[in-house]
Amino acid sequence: MPDIDFFNFFRWTLGTVVTIYASIITYQSMYGWYLWLAGTDKHISMLRRYLIVHGLRLRFLTFWGDVLITILLCVAFLLLWRAHAVVNQIGDSLHPNVLSAAKSR
Amino acid sequence: MTALATTPVQKPTAPPSAVVVSASTSAIGASASSRQLADLPREELEHLAEEYGLEGSDYKTPQHLIAAIHERRQLIASMDREAMLDVIRWGRRPVSINASSELLAQQIAKIKVMRFHGLSQRGLQILAQMRGLAIEPNDDIPRLVKKLKRQEGLFKKLNRKRRAMIGGWVGSMIGENVKQDYQFLPPADAGKSAAGESQRGGTIKEEIEESGLLGGLTNRIKKSADSYVNQKLDEIEARIDRKLDEIDRRLAEWRDKEIANRLRILKITLWASVIVGAFSLIYSYIKVYFATP
Repeated sequence: MPDIDFFNFFRWTLGTVVTIYASIITYQSMYGWYLWLAGTDKHISMLRRYLIVHGLRLRFLTFWGDVLITILLCVAFLLLWRAHAVVNQIGDSLHPNVLSAAKSR
Repeated sequence: MTALATTPVQKPTAPPSAVVVSASTSAIGASASSRQLADLPREELEHLAEEYGLEGSDYKTPQHLIAAIHERRQLIASMDREAMLDVIRWGRRPVSINASSELLAQQIAKIKVMRFHGLSQRGLQILAQMRGLAIEPNDDIPRLVKKLKRQEGLFKKLNRKRRAMIGGWVGSMIGENVKQDYQFLPPADAGKSAAGESQRGGTIKEEIEESGLLGGLTNRIKKSADSYVNQKLDEIEARIDRKLDEIDRRLAEWRDKEIANRLRILKITLWASVIVGAFSLIYSYIKVYFATP
């Protein structure tokens, strides 16, 4: 009988499903916007320029707090990822017999 | 017609070959124009002649009329543009400053005013030429005015005086408006802005003197209506501008809110990932150091 770690199983399954779902939804939305804004109609052309103007008018300072927190959280997430790898390496070093048993299974 | 002979002869500045070419092209253009005029019916020719300040009924045959129109066009082409603009300013005609000489001449032909104060000598010469008078280059202002007044005739003068008197009465009854400074039309609206005319007209007395009681009053009502419509259009335009600004402001607000919202969602997702990651790290640590035999 396979030795399944349910916590890790749940974590990886959830992470995989949510990542794929979010990627598909984001791609669909962006592709829809691209098709709509790529039209040659003069109104669409005007709207495109208007959106560019709105983009240029956007000020980073309005959202700088949220952006900073987001960047810090991304850094924390990467550090945690690296910490996982380190802990797993330590585990492999401390318990090589468990690793070889797992591999033989 | 005789005035054509009095126009000063300009020295040619182009080389002889260019003069020959331009003369031949103008001759070709003139013959083509004459052919086009010859195709027009008598009524249209008379209408065209009136536009150039000619009396169509004075000419017996269409050929005479065509010749007169052609001659008048040549006269207009030889006129000093600045002098024409002087007349336009004095006559308060609605026309743009960059209008063609033909258009200026057509507007000058519509001026029937017989009060010549404020008009320069060169302007008086142009006006006299457009009214078909023979002028000499050394004619001074009093002489030109005298010629113009003599041309009017007794009955026309009496009628004008009568209209001026009625205009004076009407002006005193309904209140005289103050003359505003003349302004040329903006170039884009050249020749078709009746609205601009309402701001460029003279007093009601002058209008009645020029166009008669009914004509003057009709013009005044039309100008008042134009002015009212213009005012309302300006108000509507200002309201639309305000609305557009409001829409733009709201869109900017919506954009900022939307971005802040997306950032918040991203932040929540990252917080959840970091917390779950931290739990997972603790779990892995416990598993490696304590749970594994």
